[in-house]
Amino acid sequence: MHEHEITREIFRNFPLWMQVVFYIVAFSSIGIFLFGAWKRIQKYRKGRPAGRFNKLPQRFFKVLGIMMTHATLRKNYTYVGLAHWMIFWGFVVLFIGTCIIAFDHDFLRFFGVHLLKGTFYIVFSLFMDVFGVLFIIGLLMMMVRRAKKPFNLNYARVDRPEGKYDRSGYIRDDKIFLWLLLFIAVTGFIIEAARIAADGFPEFEKWAPFGYAMAHLLDSTGQLNAIHMATWWVHGIAVLIFVAYIPYSKAMHILVDYANLMFADKTTAKRLPRVPAEKMDKEGMGYVKLEDFTWKELLDFDACTKCGRCHYVCPARTAGAPLSPRDVILDMRMYADQLSGTEEWVDKQVLVNGGKAKSIAGDVILPETLWSCTTCMACMEVCPVGIEHLTTIVNLRRALVDEGEMEDMLQDALANIGDYGNSFGKPERMRAKWTKDLDFKPKDARKEPVEYLWFVGDYASFDERIQELTRKVATILHRAGVDFGLLYEDERNAGNDVRRVGEEGLYEMLAEDNIAALKSAKFQKIFTTDPHSYNTIKNEYPDFGGEFEIYHYTELLLELIRQGKIRISDKLKGIRVTYHDPCYLGRYNGITEPPREIIRALGMELVEMPRNRSNSFCCGAGGGRIWMDDSGLKERPSENRIKEALSLGDIRYFIIACPKDFAMYSDAVKTSGNEGKIEVKDIIELIEEAMEGAEVTAEA
Amino acid sequence: MNIIVPIKQVPDLVEELEVDSSGKALDKEWLKFRINEFDDHALEEALLLKEDLGGTVTVIALDGDDVDKALYTAAAKGADKLIKVTGVDAELDNHKAAKALASVIKDMDYDLILTGVQAVDDLDGQLPVLLAEYLGLPHIEVVTGVKVDGNVATVQKEFSGGIVGEYEVDLPAVLGIQAARETPRYVPVAKVRRAMRSAEIEEVNATVDDASSALTVERMFKPETGGGAEFLTGSVDEIAAKIVELIKSKI
Repeated sequence: MHEHEITREIFRNFPLWMQVVFYIVAFSSIGIFLFGAWKRIQKYRKGRPAGRFNKLPQRFFKVLGIMMTHATLRKNYTYVGLAHWMIFWGFVVLFIGTCIIAFDHDFLRFFGVHLLKGTFYIVFSLFMDVFGVLFIIGLLMMMVRRAKKPFNLNYARVDRPEGKYDRSGYIRDDKIFLWLLLFIAVTGFIIEAARIAADGFPEFEKWAPFGYAMAHLLDSTGQLNAIHMATWWVHGIAVLIFVAYIPYSKAMHILVDYANLMFADKTTAKRLPRVPAEKMDKEGMGYVKLEDFTWKELLDFDACTKCGRCHYVCPARTAGAPLSPRDVILDMRMYADQLSGTEEWVDKQVLVNGGKAKSIAGDVILPETLWSCTTCMACMEVCPVGIEHLTTIVNLRRALVDEGEMEDMLQDALANIGDYGNSFGKPERMRAKWTKDLDFKPKDARKEPVEYLWFVGDYASFDERIQELTRKVATILHRAGVDFGLLYEDERNAGNDVRRVGEEGLYEMLAEDNIAALKSAKFQKIFTTDPHSYNTIKNEYPDFGGEFEIYHYTELLLELIRQGKIRISDKLKGIRVTYHDPCYLGRYNGITEPPREIIRALGMELVEMPRNRSNSFCCGAGGGRIWMDDSGLKERPSENRIKEALSLGDIRYFIIACPKDFAMYSDAVKTSGNEGKIEVKDIIELIEEAMEGAEVTAEA
Repeated sequence: MNIIVPIKQVPDLVEELEVDSSGKALDKEWLKFRINEFDDHALEEALLLKEDLGGTVTVIALDGDDVDKALYTAAAKGADKLIKVTGVDAELDNHKAAKALASVIKDMDYDLILTGVQAVDDLDGQLPVLLAEYLGLPHIEVVTGVKVDGNVATVQKEFSGGIVGEYEVDLPAVLGIQAARETPRYVPVAKVRRAMRSAEIEEVNATVDDASSALTVERMFKPETGGGAEFLTGSVDEIAAKIVELIKSKI
């Protein structure tokens, strides 16, 4: 063992011509990389402004935190999160290491400075070695996962039959990506091991423990320098191929996804972007060409890693509808790439008889695909890279509405809402007819001041099954001394689902009418039983000049229970129940605890379904789906949900806190043949039952 | 292929109907008006024909309640020209209405006139017939399908009992449409608003000889409930005798 300076030689034993060849190949590779990256940036520049350049430092550091912890990636996916964390940090450390070498050798050298020696070299070696191993372990874990063929990674389409498309390119690229990285990592270790062995196992190289151990394996070959030279080239070329390959393959997510997360804004779902007045006046509401998309939406299409989480949770996909949020994004990517000349070499799908797409909403994304969306937002919730599926889907629906392309049922509902302000096609003056059977008359907030304005909503007002519940809410609040009033016939459909259907002009009309009616009434706060109305009044009306303080009735009821204005007996104590989070209440607006606290206050045993709170499963009625035909589905989402509740064992009540849910799940219990096994209850019915016989305080 | 579609506004039956103090007409104060459903189908069929064959669709209506809105909606759906005929009050009088429309249409260039087979307010069903008469054109009623080949239209006419007849008719002709091939299309609110700003309604004054009207409304009322029914029993002869008795006693 001879004395050796604590460093390593770059281009060890390389003649000059080899070094020259290396630099030529390296610069070509970087050139190909830059070209691909530039083409993509050109593509994003075609997009409209997205208004996301504010708070850049906060955005940057927020995502840095996400990257450190992998918070979005490991949520519900611990194994994948861990594997990706190792690959990610392995990659980052090895990349930084390579940059240090390049900086040291190709820049500092000319100033007579040499960093990579002594203690710095030892620390460097240790880091590279450990993270190199983590990198390999992560890759192997992913390979094992892929070998098990998980549902999420099945690329089968739900909107086209097999044979009408070819996605073998996706699978090929998955393999290239994993094997190329593994090959680079393993050959890197071989180079290190060959060098250590050839140098006679210098003591300080023990700080590269894995390379050192491997060196013993190679020692007996006797061809150490030849192995080193050959592997060096193979490794170097593989790395440079990888660099060139990044912008043309799934490796692109390395470049795109940090930015996509940085500029992500989940609030676009609950507060949909407005159609610029000029566009609405001249062209129409919807997206019909690439330039209509914002640059963030174009970035979304490239950000997708096909992880399949949205595909897995989507209630439409689960129900057998021809919609996969993943495929909407991938098809849009394909379309945008075709128009921008950024088609990926390896990572691509081919549509049989795809032809030239004439329209985006229609040919690129099928109308039935767009109409299948319930806008439940589960896709955006689970997307680890900040894709906003919903704005794309709604903007494409707007294009369908522009052309009047929709099914008859939906058309009737929209026409009714346009003519009468409600989807039931009932005259406006019938809106408050449900109050007739009350033993008191709710105040008219247009005529006298009230504390709470009750925005009742269409289903609670007009659906006969739900009117009964509406009256219960009214009676209980009245008895609890709540000072509330109605808008009577001046209330219109709030427009939440009209907007999500894509009928923006009608939505604007409804919002303007409601805001005008609300502004002319005298009240302090609004409450509603309807999470859909809640969402649009709270999050979207401010864009139209209507700022109101609004509560969901579960919040109000909980407050009344806490104040002792509603007194609860222990009549329902111990009953096993489960609770369904309405999408627009839980996922959209984070109101998950007040209903649960009421259930606990009633003394019932709350058993959670596996999919709860922000991970709740949609009933299938949102986004205007309640006005569309669902007879073509294999299994309605609501039936799937009832099964989930039944899987918890003996559950007496399936508790809901949304008028539409009552209709959806009451039907689902019947159609799934589970009558008598579980009962759908609005939370107000349980409060009423528990109040019975109890003394009711009526002081205001 | 130039098509003319006469349309009419009728009271919205979703609203409760009241007779006004004159006892001869509906109280319009609380009424909403909407396009007669059959006319909407006629317009849809016209737009579909235009999409297949090219040409223009002209929508024409006598001035009346909320007519502008109906015309703008038609423009938003794809109608090329809007005409409002003023100077004629022809409510519930299809003779007069047909004369007024014919006086305007006769100088226009067209191949086909499509209009609703009837309207819910008068349930008269005479307008297409009268229009054809005044224009000297052939006509077919209760049409559920139209195909045009050159100067000839092949038309499906629906009879009761699910029987369908197929006719050939030389153009120009008047067709009373029962149903279009497709449900009348939805037109987004934004498009109607756009049409309100950009489309133009041409107003044409028509003069119609008042003597052409042979109808007057005597009384308008909700169906009166009778005092119950009496069942006549017995043999055929006995019942016939009782009926004769009854009629004699009422005269």
